[in-house]
Amino acid sequence: MIKMGSANLADRLLNRQLRSGGWSYLGSMQSSVESTSLAVLALGPDGEGMPTSGIEHLLRSQERDGGWPAFIGDSESAWVTALVLCALNTMNDFAIARESAFHWLMMERGREAHWLWRWKFRIADRGVRFNPDKYGWPWSPGTVSWVIPSAFSLVAIKQYTVCNRFAAAENRIRLGVDMLLDRACVGGGWNSGNSAVYGVPLLPHVEPTAIALLALQDEERTPVIRMSLAWLKQRSATIEAVESLAWSILSLFVYQEPVEDLKVRLATLIGDGRDIRNNATLATAILALRCGEMIHPFVVLR
Amino acid sequence: MNIDRRRFVGSTAGVAATTGMAADWFWPKHSVSYQRPRSFVAILNATEYSEKVEALLMDGLRLFRLNVAGRRVLLKPNLVEDLPGPVNTNADLIGAAVRCFLRLGAAKVVVGEGPGHQRDTELVVQAANLKPHLADRRIDFVDLNRDELVRVKLKASYSGLGELWLPRTVLDSDFIVSMPKVKTHHWAGVTLSLKNMFGIVPGMKYGWPKNLLHWHGIHECILDICATVPIHFVIADGITAMEGNGPLQGTARDLGKIVVADDPVAADATCARLMGLDPFRVQHLSDGGRFLGNVNANRITMLGERVEPPARPFSVLPDFEYLIAPTR
Repeated sequence: MIKMGSANLADRLLNRQLRSGGWSYLGSMQSSVESTSLAVLALGPDGEGMPTSGIEHLLRSQERDGGWPAFIGDSESAWVTALVLCALNTMNDFAIARESAFHWLMMERGREAHWLWRWKFRIADRGVRFNPDKYGWPWSPGTVSWVIPSAFSLVAIKQYTVCNRFAAAENRIRLGVDMLLDRACVGGGWNSGNSAVYGVPLLPHVEPTAIALLALQDEERTPVIRMSLAWLKQRSATIEAVESLAWSILSLFVYQEPVEDLKVRLATLIGDGRDIRNNATLATAILALRCGEMIHPFVVLR
Repeated sequence: MNIDRRRFVGSTAGVAATTGMAADWFWPKHSVSYQRPRSFVAILNATEYSEKVEALLMDGLRLFRLNVAGRRVLLKPNLVEDLPGPVNTNADLIGAAVRCFLRLGAAKVVVGEGPGHQRDTELVVQAANLKPHLADRRIDFVDLNRDELVRVKLKASYSGLGELWLPRTVLDSDFIVSMPKVKTHHWAGVTLSLKNMFGIVPGMKYGWPKNLLHWHGIHECILDICATVPIHFVIADGITAMEGNGPLQGTARDLGKIVVADDPVAADATCARLMGLDPFRVQHLSDGGRFLGNVNANRITMLGERVEPPARPFSVLPDFEYLIAPTR
């Protein structure tokens, strides 16, 4: 039932493709790089009607600096570069585009990486508590590191360098991993980027937790990772929102946790997909429903 | 003479405000002004969220003789996170507002929000229990974090951002209603109708949270955004408000009020007074009072009930104690 459902959902997603080759979020004519990357992954490199125009659209949209903007029309490279690199990694092709994306990610860093802001967070800014020596990636240039863009960047870099990881890449990965572990909530899981504000612990969110765990899937199972996984397992039992449930399935699957019941619930929530207006959400849901049937797009080989 | 910390901060703020006013006179940072000679505010008493809220709100809106017939109305509630407690604008009030504007003849009513922390907007909408209201009335909900974006030159230059990408749904609306939850805020002091407009800034471009706005100054960005996208009306949810470490981790405070107004600065100034805070000490209200609306009580006509400060002011974090209004 799930397999048939995901095929119908794929058709629906395919029907929503823009003439440009991309996908918008909510049905406008403005192509979103996140939606397009996830749609390319969901429709699969192995065909099932996936037009090459989706990939070509992404390749055409790459900025000169190697990154991708959040949407077509903007010119500032952003966090979605990591998602595109993940999409291109699954195809084992497009070497030049992937290499320049990798270099963009290697250069990009949270603002706290600069000594001046590091000093500010250490001395003057008492509101939030984190170690500014451990930095990851921002959503957009000129801002500090946050969990989701850091986690996607880690997955993309780990995948890209799996066969040939030189020291600089390894160091950058370690720094990003340390940042994630430093920002984890007290009882496990992740909020957007901080674990406490004004001394009060923040509660974890589903999506950052699921995506951070994807980035840490090949790391040693530290207590933070174990607690976060336990939190996600417990929380996923009651999630009724498609996007969060889909990311939970994708994450729990790589930790070899049972996801069949969650997939059934996800399929029920989606129905025929008509009410899922957000194409990024629809694509993520298709990926989650196909867990185990296709190569997991965010898997990191040890 | 004894000068304690609060008085020192207050005096410093006063000097800064005076200097700022002088500078603003010669080199204005805004290219628009929405200030009118008088603003109108009404305080509606409601002790709980119930079906009665709609009738109360309708009576309140009729005081303003709003002309929304045939217009596209955007309701911008404050939906932040899927947390318990008075974090989000109450769904019953949002639903009541939708029905009221349709009864007043609006061609279309859209509820739009771009939550600042939680990326899964559906999770927030579910937690706020908004879905039944949207389903019943076939009202569009637009996730402003993922709407089509248009590059817009800002009509004020406090933040130095110059321009922002903003959602088309917001820009195409004829009548924007800010519907904040009355709360204290650990970075801005208070979060009311002006601060609520942070929710129109799209996460797909600026992230979750919209960190760029923090780096360019919260008060400054509030002023720039509200100069560029004017708020036409305010319905502030102060039935159950939040004090302390708001906007997420504070504690509930029963205020029993809905504040409606045709001027966002006047609305926020009134809310601040109801909270026992001095609106002139909130930077974006003090600065906004020069061009976004009226902060001075002398220029605000109360339609009905007068503003009575609370017996006990809203509790605030130590860094914001200077906001507490002096007792009479």
